[in-house]
Amino acid sequence: MNVVTIAVRNVTRNKFRTTLTVIGVAVAIVAFVMLRTVVAASSIAVDFAAKDRVASRHKVSFVMSLPRHYIDTLRNIRGVRAATWANWIGAKDPRDPDNFFATLAVDPESFLVVYDEVSVSAAEREAFIHDRQGALIGDVLARKLGVKVGDRITLQGTIYPGDFTYHVSGIYRATRKSFDRSTFLVHWDYMNESLPEARRDQIGWMVARIDDPRHAADITRLIDRTFENEDAQTLSMSERAMNLSFMAMFSAVLGALDVVSIILLGILLMILGNTVAMGVRERTNEYGVLRAMGFLPRHVVFFIVSESIVTGALAGVLGLGISYPFVQLGIGRWLEENMGGMFPYFRIDPVSAVAAFGFALVLGAIAAVLPAWRASRLTVTDALRRQD
Amino acid sequence: MSEDVKKTDAAPLVELRGVSKTFFRGNEPIHVLEGLDLSIAEGSFEALMGPSGSGKSTLLNLIAGLDKATKGSVKVAGHELMSMSDAQLAKFRSENIGFIFQSYNLMPVLTAAENVELPLLLTKLGRAERRRRAETALRVVGLEDRVGHFPRQLSGGQEQRVAIARAIVSDPRILVADEPTGDLDRKSADDVLALLARLNTELHKTIVMVTHDPLAAERARVTHRLDKGALAA
Repeated sequence: MNVVTIAVRNVTRNKFRTTLTVIGVAVAIVAFVMLRTVVAASSIAVDFAAKDRVASRHKVSFVMSLPRHYIDTLRNIRGVRAATWANWIGAKDPRDPDNFFATLAVDPESFLVVYDEVSVSAAEREAFIHDRQGALIGDVLARKLGVKVGDRITLQGTIYPGDFTYHVSGIYRATRKSFDRSTFLVHWDYMNESLPEARRDQIGWMVARIDDPRHAADITRLIDRTFENEDAQTLSMSERAMNLSFMAMFSAVLGALDVVSIILLGILLMILGNTVAMGVRERTNEYGVLRAMGFLPRHVVFFIVSESIVTGALAGVLGLGISYPFVQLGIGRWLEENMGGMFPYFRIDPVSAVAAFGFALVLGAIAAVLPAWRASRLTVTDALRRQD
Repeated sequence: MSEDVKKTDAAPLVELRGVSKTFFRGNEPIHVLEGLDLSIAEGSFEALMGPSGSGKSTLLNLIAGLDKATKGSVKVAGHELMSMSDAQLAKFRSENIGFIFQSYNLMPVLTAAENVELPLLLTKLGRAERRRRAETALRVVGLEDRVGHFPRQLSGGQEQRVAIARAIVSDPRILVADEPTGDLDRKSADDVLALLARLNTELHKTIVMVTHDPLAAERARVTHRLDKGALAA
C-alpha cells in the first residue's frame, strides 16, 4: 500500500456518486471531442491543401464562369506545369434527390494530372478518359449509390437541364485527406454539348499545378494580371487560401464551437469540483485523523488532488472509449458519406483525443485545489471535531 | 490534586506547568484550562475524568501536540511543544504519540492491515517491512485472523482493536485515548480496556485516557479529575 493506493481506493468509496460523476464528465468529454473533431475536420481542406496548386475563379463570384479558352492561356503562363478546369453541375440521383453529393464536369486527362491524389487503377483511368459518358466516382459515394464499375447510372440535371446517363468507368480513392471521396466526376465535353449554344464553352474555375510552391504568390499575381484586361477577370489564390476563403464562410460557426468547447470544459470542472467538495466535506474528520498521526497538510492536498485526478482519468478513458466508436464507426462515416464535400475526412484527431484526456486530468487537479486547500488549512482539532 | 495514585516512581514523561488554554467565541474568551500543572510518569496509565466541558479533551490535545496552550509549558518526551512549529509537531506526533479515538476512525476503503500500516507511510520503511509490522501489531491485539478484513466486516470491538494496533504500530512512547470505550458495549469495552492495560504492563506504553466511564478509569493507575479547567483538589 502507498498513498496512491489510498487515493485510488477513495474513488470507489461512494460508487454511486463516482459513477454519476464519471458518466457526467465522460459525456462532456464526448461532446468536447465531437466539437473539436468538427473544427479539425472543417480545416482539413486547408491543412492538407496541396502547396503546389493554385486556383483561379471569376473575380466577382464563384457562381460566375470563365471562358473555356482561358485554360490555354493559363497553361502558357511561366511556372505553370499543368492546368485543368471544372464546372459544378449540381446533378442529383433521381432515386434519392435528397442525397447531396458533388458532381463535377472535368477534363479527365488534365484533371487526373493536376489532382494526382485521385487514385484509380490504370485500366479504370483509361476507361474514364476514353468514354465520353464515363464517370469516375469516389469510393464512399459508390458504396452509398450501390454502384460498381460497369454499371450505368442516370442523374437528373439542375444547372444542366435533362437526364444524363453515365457509365461507371472507375471508382477512385483519395490519397490526400482533403479530397472528397464522395464526388461524381464526369466529362466536361459531354455536359458542355448538352447546353444551348449561348451557354457553352464556359468553365467554373481553373486549377494549375505549379513548378515551385515558393512562387505561388507570384504566379497567382501573374495569372490575374494576364486576364485583367479581359471581360472576365480572375481571382487567383493558392489552394490553401481558396479553401480558407471557403472556410471563412463558416468562421462564425467554428468560433461558436470554440466557445462551446470552453463552456464544456467549464461544466467538466464544475462536475468534478462538486464531487470533490462533497467528498472532502464528508471526510474532514478522516483528514483530521491523518493529520493527528503526523501527516502534513501537503499530504492531505495530495490525497484530495490525486483522487480527483483519478476520477478525471476514469472519465477520460470512458469518454474516449465512447467517442472513438461513436465517431469513427458511426457519425464520422455518416458525415463522410452524406456531407463529404464539407467533411471529406471526419475522424477523431489524435491531438483532440490527447487534449480531451489531458483536460480531464488537469481539470481534475484544478477542481480539487480549492477543497484541498481548505481542508489543509483546518487545524487538526477542528478537523477532528467535524462529524458529517 | 485529588488523584487516585496507585504508585509510580518513574521520571515524568509528560510535564505541564502553568498551562492555560483560552478559546474565543467571537470576541468572548472562554477559559478552558487555567494554570494547570500535571506530571505523568513514563509507563503510567492515567485517566482524565470530569464532566463535559471540563477541559479533558483539550488537555489531551495539548499533551498529544494537536493543539497549543495559550500560556505555560508543555513538555512531552523531552520536547517543549510550545516552541514547536506545526511541521515539527506533526513529526513529534508521528514519532511519539499513538491515537485511539472514540469512533475508531478507520478508513473504510482500507483493510485492517492497511489501516494499521497507515502511520508507517510516514517512515522510510519498505513495503514488506511495513506490512510485517502491521501484521505484528494486529497479532498483539489478537486480530491476526482479520488482516484482510475491511472495517465494515468487523465488530465495534474489533474495529477499536484495529485502531489500537494502528496506534502502537510505530512504537510510540505515549498512547492517548479519547473515550476509547464510548461506543462499545460492556463486554467489548472490557476487552479493549484489558488490552490497554496489557499494553501498559507488558509493552510499557504510557497511556493517557479521557473517559466518562468509572469502570474504565478503574483500569488506570492514576485518575485525574478535572472541573472547570482545573484539576480538582
